[in-house]
Amino acid sequence: MINRRKEAIQGILYVLPSFVLILTFAVIPILMSGFFSFTQYNVMQPPQWIGLDNYIRMTKDPYVKASLVNTVIFTIGTVPVQTFLSLVIAAVLAEMFRGHFGGFVKSALFVPVIASAILVGTLWSFLLNPRGIVNLILQALNLPAVNWLGGKATAMFSVCLVSVWKNVGYFLVIYYAGIMDIPRSQYEAAKVDGASPIQCFFRITLPSLKSVTYLVVTLGTIWSFQVFDLVYNMTGGGPGTATQTLVLTIYNAAFKEYSMGYASAVAMLMFLFVLLINAIQKIFFREKEV
Amino acid sequence: MTAIKRNLVRGLIALVLVFLALLAFTPFLYMCIISLTQKSTLDLNFAGVDFNFNNYVRVFKNLNIARNFLNSVIVTCGACILNCVICSMAAYGFSKKRWPGRDKVFALYLATLMVPGQVTLIPVFLIIKQLGLMNTHLALMLPILNAFGVFLMRQFMMNVPDDLLEAARIDGCSENRLFLRIVIPLIKPVIISLTVFTFITSWNDFLWPLVTCTNQNMQTLTLAISALKGNYSTNYGLVMAGSVLAFLPPFILYIFLQKQFVEGIALSGVKG
Repeated sequence: MINRRKEAIQGILYVLPSFVLILTFAVIPILMSGFFSFTQYNVMQPPQWIGLDNYIRMTKDPYVKASLVNTVIFTIGTVPVQTFLSLVIAAVLAEMFRGHFGGFVKSALFVPVIASAILVGTLWSFLLNPRGIVNLILQALNLPAVNWLGGKATAMFSVCLVSVWKNVGYFLVIYYAGIMDIPRSQYEAAKVDGASPIQCFFRITLPSLKSVTYLVVTLGTIWSFQVFDLVYNMTGGGPGTATQTLVLTIYNAAFKEYSMGYASAVAMLMFLFVLLINAIQKIFFREKEV
Repeated sequence: MTAIKRNLVRGLIALVLVFLALLAFTPFLYMCIISLTQKSTLDLNFAGVDFNFNNYVRVFKNLNIARNFLNSVIVTCGACILNCVICSMAAYGFSKKRWPGRDKVFALYLATLMVPGQVTLIPVFLIIKQLGLMNTHLALMLPILNAFGVFLMRQFMMNVPDDLLEAARIDGCSENRLFLRIVIPLIKPVIISLTVFTFITSWNDFLWPLVTCTNQNMQTLTLAISALKGNYSTNYGLVMAGSVLAFLPPFILYIFLQKQFVEGIALSGVKG
């Protein structure tokens, strides 16, 4: 009995430091975000309860509307491309190049992953400069130069492009690990039955990677809701509101206008979307298991 | 015939892969080359261009880069150590000790993983401000810690056999010694993975330092790069020199710890 109690005290003592931190920096803050979203709060004066006013204001805010539209465009512009590319490259590497060459390709594609989004954004805004390398290459190919970050449609396209460039290596590694988990015997049996590599890909690889694909798609979609560093550094949300994002809207409302209450309401909206995506993923997973 | 055809296909695919690898890597090479010049254009015409380290000298002498670099090193190292110590302790308490309410508390930890950092940015900022921690290294470290590390280490620690711990206990090993001398060495691989993961997150972090570092002297390197780009937008060599400095530490670590890097970062996939 005494031993039991001693064990419990020890266990609690080991967990305590993390518990204090999780409580202070995760649990209490989310409750506070929820509370602030119903208040008007400029940090100087105590928060004032205003009910649903922030949420009503949000429905009329052009920045919020632009952010949501842009998030959808960004998701469509990045998730399918990066999922497809990383899957195909991983499958090719696992099927044909398991040696040093494949290792080199994987290592090279992973380099953009370790660089910060700020660094990547800085580098690419030079490459995409009206007189930068990308336009020089286009001119050498007798194609017209493009004002990449200056035009509304091209700015969004550029941000998507850079994001895909940065993230393919990350998803590639996840897919590659997933393919390595598929038992080799399945492929060998298929080969004996005369299946081509392409048939193997569609009949064995792809179905076995279903859960990995859910992960890659969900993660990519959630990331689309969290874009900040890249647009902050490359376009500042512009031109106009062409690359405005939710986090940029939260940041500007909170730290430029000191509307903490309104910014919290936008943050709660973002939270709602992330929860929704998680829930959709869970439903898909359950369906699969049944 | 088919062998030739197969080799041809293989060669073509290899070519495409080389192209993709170059596409991923050459921008960084470009960054390094431009950082050594005082060019006022972004093209690849290097006729009559002098290659030197003037930009590096300048960022260290005239700008605060050394201080920014030091801040990043302190914050990143601190975050790595804190994260490993606190998460491994918590994982031990969760996996090897029984106490009332344990599973409920762990479920709460897991639930916090669903909340993106940007959602709680404002309250965390206000809490840090209330605690008087604005413009401190500690403020930059604390929010890096999250339940993900606890979850990861707990998974790993569950595989440490209880019999082993029991045997050590019978031999008179104290509880803290048991944790430090037996459990920690056994979970070394996951400690390395978590360190790498924390390193990258902390070194590359932008939004949080942007909000908490109002004092120039406390800014991290990632913030400094952003400021550099804003203030010296046409001094390409200078901006690239700063970027190279920000890129080198994670890149060098990556070269030496490639496997752990890939594992550590791939692990974060579990987080979603």
